[in-house]
Amino acid sequence: MRPYLYIAKVRMLSALAYRFDVLSSIVIQCLAVIASCFFWIAAYGNQQAALGVTRDQMLTYTVMSSTLACLLTMNVENRIAASVQKGSVALDLLKPVNIFGIYLWEDIGSVAIAFLQNAVPLLLIGALFIVAPVPASAAHFLLFILSAAFSYMINWLIAALFGMWSFRIVRIFPLLCMKGHMIRLLSGSVIPLWFFPQWLQTVLSFLPFRYIYQLPLSVYIGILSPRETAAQMGIQFIWILLLGCLFFEIKKGVTRHLLVQGG
Amino acid sequence: MPLIKVNDLVKEYTVIKKGKGLKGALKSLLHKEKEILRAVNHISFSIQHGEIVGYIGPNGAGKSTTVKMLSGILSPTSGEILIDGLSPQKDRKRVVQNLGVVFGQRSQLNWDLRLGESFELLKRIYRIDDRQYQENLAMMDAILEIHKFIHTPVRQLSLGQRMRGDLAAAMLHSPQVLFLDEPTIGLDVDGKQAIRKFVKEINRLKQTTVILTTHDLGDIQELCSRLIIISEGTIVEDGSLSDLIDRIAPYRILHVELYEEAELPIHPLAEKIRQDGTAAVYRFDKKKVTAAQLIEDLSCFCKMKDFRLEEARIEDIIRAAYHKKEKLEGV
Repeated sequence: MRPYLYIAKVRMLSALAYRFDVLSSIVIQCLAVIASCFFWIAAYGNQQAALGVTRDQMLTYTVMSSTLACLLTMNVENRIAASVQKGSVALDLLKPVNIFGIYLWEDIGSVAIAFLQNAVPLLLIGALFIVAPVPASAAHFLLFILSAAFSYMINWLIAALFGMWSFRIVRIFPLLCMKGHMIRLLSGSVIPLWFFPQWLQTVLSFLPFRYIYQLPLSVYIGILSPRETAAQMGIQFIWILLLGCLFFEIKKGVTRHLLVQGG
Repeated sequence: MPLIKVNDLVKEYTVIKKGKGLKGALKSLLHKEKEILRAVNHISFSIQHGEIVGYIGPNGAGKSTTVKMLSGILSPTSGEILIDGLSPQKDRKRVVQNLGVVFGQRSQLNWDLRLGESFELLKRIYRIDDRQYQENLAMMDAILEIHKFIHTPVRQLSLGQRMRGDLAAAMLHSPQVLFLDEPTIGLDVDGKQAIRKFVKEINRLKQTTVILTTHDLGDIQELCSRLIIISEGTIVEDGSLSDLIDRIAPYRILHVELYEEAELPIHPLAEKIRQDGTAAVYRFDKKKVTAAQLIEDLSCFCKMKDFRLEEARIEDIIRAAYHKKEKLEGV
């Protein structure tokens, strides 16, 4: 455990090395969250509620979605793609640790930093200018934390699975780009899925994406009944198991076909 | 038992053949023509504890591919590798715990951290205990003088400093085996000297087994007690440099200059190649006759003004070995 914790710490130290990067990302995220909140304010108009969700709940949903997005930023896919392309994956493999362990703990280090650097300022800006993003109750908050942790695992496993493609395909960035947009659109992170047509909602309930954003956010604003919450978090957990099995299965074969670029 | 044992190792790569120009590029998008390249072709060798072995060969001969297979990064197509009895592919984590690797062209140090912080990370990754860590750090400092830049961020180090940092990093966990892949590439004379001193010292103090790939003749002459020469994926030579010289270039050339023109005799143990007026050239086998003996014999016949001995250049010998030539021509 000790080496992995230190890997996370090193990641935090490196994240703090570039100050301009930090400041610019805060500014960009705050602008983005303010813009999407104004979109919802305009969309609601004089209405107090739409499809059973009040305007304030919707704004809380939006602010929390952006906050969650900072915390769910995964580096694993780009990390693998870049190190395969540059050949530095060789150096990762020379360490007596699991290479996916390195990638996971680097990402966990990034989350800790993103929480302080991005999530906290975003929540403050949201609370000051839009709406205080308070959870429905303390119980809802705790369930949200658990569900968000599950989201992290699903999101990380999907990212790692996509990242593993780059052991086979050298240029993977277009694929990663497509994946990013798919998650943004189909997970309810920008527009909640209850605004989508019924047939699409049915299709999406069989895919893992909605369990990344929509589920924890819906739990947070308290629009799900206890039964719905339990059922959906159960499905969320099943997705972790499914993706986890797939991950370990593919991981076994993947390093065997490793391409190390350059002399 | 040898520390490293390689038996009948083969590595094949599948490459996609691309046609020429835009037309070829478009064609290869639709129809892939695959070609199998054999980078390493049935090689076998074993290395004993404490040896310094130069693993040399022209670019593209399969050196780096072999080193990558030895360190568990690449899987061989067929054949067997054992390092201290373990397969680097099956027991990667246990094998690399006992392995230090330095690539001259890439660094294992963390770009954004100070050198010392990179060492701290390695200390955790290899689970080095405090006493051993301090001891090794002190030893590395004594050889490489890293204290001068241990608090500098790695991205601000010069190439020579970075290389020294990388060497120290590779030795922190006291590995038994050290792979150096072109460690002196791009370094100035002082930098090269520092690295050679380092290799000799760790070999002497810790009996570390070193395998070194290099194109630098100085590295080969100063460090390698044994050379394994690989060319086009197969081993063409395995032995000491002096044996190689004796075999490929057994002759020395003696240039003689006389005060006045005189016909020089034919010596029974040396071949007279030519004579132009006062200058003559002899070729002799250094195992059959010494230069001193030859000069003494010749000076009985005439008055010598000057002489000069010529030996085959190491560079030419190595090149002859790369091209699988049995004897060096010219000399």
